Amino acid sequence: MKKGFYIRLAGEGISKNRKLYFPYILTCICMIMMYYIVSFLSISKELASIRGGEMLQRLLSMGVFVVAVFALIFLYYTNSFLIRKRKKELGLYNILGMGKRNLVRILLWENILTAVISLVIGIVFGILFSKLAELLAIKLLDGATGFGVHIEMKPILMTVGLFLAIFLLIMIRMLVSVYKLRPIEMLRSENVGEKPPKANWLFAFAGAVILAGAYYLAVKIIDPTTAMLVFFLAVVMVIIATYLLFIAGSVALCKLLQKSKKYYYKTRHFVSLSQMVYRMKRNGAGLASICILSTMVLVTISSTMCIYADTESSIRNRYPHDITIEWSGKTSLPQNEDGTDTELKDSVVQRLTPEMTMTYKEAVEKVLESHKVKAENLENYNLYSLSGVQSDDVLSIDFEKMKGEISSINAGMSGSVKTMYFTTMDDYNKLKGTDKTLAEDEMMLYSYKTDYEYDSFTIDGVGTWKVETMKEPPIGVGNAMANMQGSYQVVVKDLSVIEKIATAYETINAKPLQDGTLYLLSLKECYDFDLKCDEEKQIEIYKDILESFEHISEAADEQGNRMGDSLANYYADSKAYGKGDFIALNGGLFFLGVLLGAVFLFGTVLIMYYKQISEGYEDQDRFNILMKVGMTKKEVKQTINSQVLTVFFMPLIMAGIHLAFAFPMIQKILMLMSGVEAKVFVIVTIGCYLVFALFYVLVYVVTSKSYYTIISSKEK
Amino acid sequence: MAVLDVKNLKKIYRPRFGGNQVQALSCVNFSVEEGEYVAIMGESGSGKTTLLNIMAALDKPTEGTVLLDGKPLSSIKDKDIAQFRRDNLGFVFQEFNLLDTFNVKDNILLPLVLKGENCKHMDSKLQPIAKELGISALLEKYPYEISGGQKQRAAVARALITEPRLILADEPTGALDSRSTDELLGLFARINAGGQTILMVTHSVKAASKAGRVLFIRDGEVFHQVYRGQMTDEQLYQKISDTLTMLATGGDRR
Repeated sequence: MKKGFYIRLAGEGISKNRKLYFPYILTCICMIMMYYIVSFLSISKELASIRGGEMLQRLLSMGVFVVAVFALIFLYYTNSFLIRKRKKELGLYNILGMGKRNLVRILLWENILTAVISLVIGIVFGILFSKLAELLAIKLLDGATGFGVHIEMKPILMTVGLFLAIFLLIMIRMLVSVYKLRPIEMLRSENVGEKPPKANWLFAFAGAVILAGAYYLAVKIIDPTTAMLVFFLAVVMVIIATYLLFIAGSVALCKLLQKSKKYYYKTRHFVSLSQMVYRMKRNGAGLASICILSTMVLVTISSTMCIYADTESSIRNRYPHDITIEWSGKTSLPQNEDGTDTELKDSVVQRLTPEMTMTYKEAVEKVLESHKVKAENLENYNLYSLSGVQSDDVLSIDFEKMKGEISSINAGMSGSVKTMYFTTMDDYNKLKGTDKTLAEDEMMLYSYKTDYEYDSFTIDGVGTWKVETMKEPPIGVGNAMANMQGSYQVVVKDLSVIEKIATAYETINAKPLQDGTLYLLSLKECYDFDLKCDEEKQIEIYKDILESFEHISEAADEQGNRMGDSLANYYADSKAYGKGDFIALNGGLFFLGVLLGAVFLFGTVLIMYYKQISEGYEDQDRFNILMKVGMTKKEVKQTINSQVLTVFFMPLIMAGIHLAFAFPMIQKILMLMSGVEAKVFVIVTIGCYLVFALFYVLVYVVTSKSYYTIISSKEK
Repeated sequence: MAVLDVKNLKKIYRPRFGGNQVQALSCVNFSVEEGEYVAIMGESGSGKTTLLNIMAALDKPTEGTVLLDGKPLSSIKDKDIAQFRRDNLGFVFQEFNLLDTFNVKDNILLPLVLKGENCKHMDSKLQPIAKELGISALLEKYPYEISGGQKQRAAVARALITEPRLILADEPTGALDSRSTDELLGLFARINAGGQTILMVTHSVKAASKAGRVLFIRDGEVFHQVYRGQMTDEQLYQKISDTLTMLATGGDRR
């Protein structure tokens, strides 16, 4: 035989089956392209040099893994369509006198051709689009870049290596199926002898129960911290339930409907229902995959988009002012003569004296002066924070006593950990320009990320206050916003009240560290202000302030004592400085979300296409018989349409339901990561769903066209 | 009055991209009376299938008319034709054409469901027919579980259940073994004796020999016909064989 013979046969095989092969090659190309882009970005030097780029690259290297796993599963899956459809052709070759060895050689060449074509095109497109993706990523991170295209060897090698391995795997599977092939079986029509599917009531029931359980978990979760853990569990449950329901539940439902004679023996239901059973049995797994992929696309894109869209406001929340400085008091625990720690006395809370912060304030002034800017909107107030476990209107602060309970708290059973931020009425009035007063036993309360619905508030072992809730936060406390659990900001009468609470708290909980230092979570003095200059200058000022603070605290007086020891501890932060990280993280997440979303979306489209095509071939004969038996063309079209529509849009609808139930949970998780408002998230999610649905309909229109071409091709 | 009247039927196939025209039917005339059992015979390419398709309103003649109960098929609108077909005609095909997604019972009931019949009456119509055709025990089985003969009987039941004016059978024994063929032909004879009009296209002499009248088609026209009269099946068989021999050896019209 001539040497080119097999290659020619292989090429012919591909072009003759182009309806099946082209989408497959397209899948390969896109997967290779995606993988190259992600792996290129994860090591791109250009991206790494951007602020936040490294964080994105860390995220991307996880993305590389996800894409690789997905590519493997997906190519393996789409290839199985190909094999199933080609068995007849291979059987014919076999009968015409080609041995299995020859068939293997044809398939080998087909695989090599496919692999080479898709690798070459995929990588070329990957290189072209990688620049685009890089520009997009850098834009999202607020950086600037040139337009030079780089080609990196490492990602190319990675891509080629990975996909050669995948192709090899696919080929082995193909060869195995060729060796198992029996020509007679191959020639016979695929549908002959197919048993009617039996309803697996147990699986259907289990699916419904698991899904209900997952939904219940998703809706019931109150505490955001536990949401993360439960979310994972719920996701796994939903995936299992979706497969069970699509595979077993749908068949069971059809069977149930068939049992109802009145419903079944109607022109509109009769044919559809009986064919639906087979359709669901064959496509249940594929449809469940579509459903889960769609849900994934929707969740990833809508949540990352939300976080990204919300970057500005979460930065605003986290940094109410351009520069935030906090001073806190501290004291060393005096040691006994034998070296053991002294007992904690009643009043260990050290009030921050003006002397302790004076030097720092002066330093800030000096720095600002040297930069010729003024502190605007200066907010200078005292703040005390503590954490406790809230159950109903009582906050317990004795952690020792509650050790046993904490584990159950983490499970989200009773109460939850809350952080409280105390300020005084004086400070409040000063900041807000109001003239309110509070009695000793009154407080004003604002709750972050949670609700407070009681009239009074008790701190266990300290006292009880009457509560007046506030609609606006009294003072923008960045930490309160960043806190994962809910927190309360509270205004009380004066410092003496705060001191009383603080003393009680520290007495119970404060334990000296190993070096004998006791860091009391004592009163903090906050010193926040805005700057009227650009961000670069703000960062400069921030760095100067930090430097001068360090200078002050490290300086020694005449006796050789560190100045810092007699001064307050300091903490300073800058909005402009912290912003970059925020943008990098949120932008990076969004970028990754879009990338993975694109991969998933592509997967969905492809599975749908193959499903339509393979069903088209199966429905050809039935369509024909129905026409002969006396169904009008219109009726046949209606029946088929209703089936196709149901099968096609069921995953989309199911994905919508999943999304609706996942909504409260995702919202809570988003709240942990940023302060996304529920309204924004609702709008973004619905928007994403609509855009996705539009895509879906588009795919439907395109694929149903090829479906009807196949169906009607046998009509004549 | 004749159930079916075929007048001057002519069918010419025109290939889409030029080429030679093919005349499948040149001039066919015959009629089928109520309660008759007519077989149409002819070699491959003689125009049998074209004729059947036209009578079934699946295809349109180039010239001529087909009258069913005096009503020309050409007067029925396109959109009503499928409904007309399922109300008046019953079909039995060579390859059975049972739907593999239905069990036997649902396959038989299909035309009734399409007609929109109340499901309460369905069973009362199904049972006697199933009993008559000997498939009562098979009703819950699926097509892939039963033999060819059983499948064809199910198909006959499906054709009969609407009580059509005319049953059109296209090579009904073509895919059956000899025993099943005998059974099916016996069945046809029985339902014909019950008053059902049957028109069967076949090239099996044995099948044709059970009919009351046999039409022979050659080159697109009815070339000859044989009436059973007082003949037995065997005598008719002989007669048909002789006619076919004569046709094959190119005898002239008698």
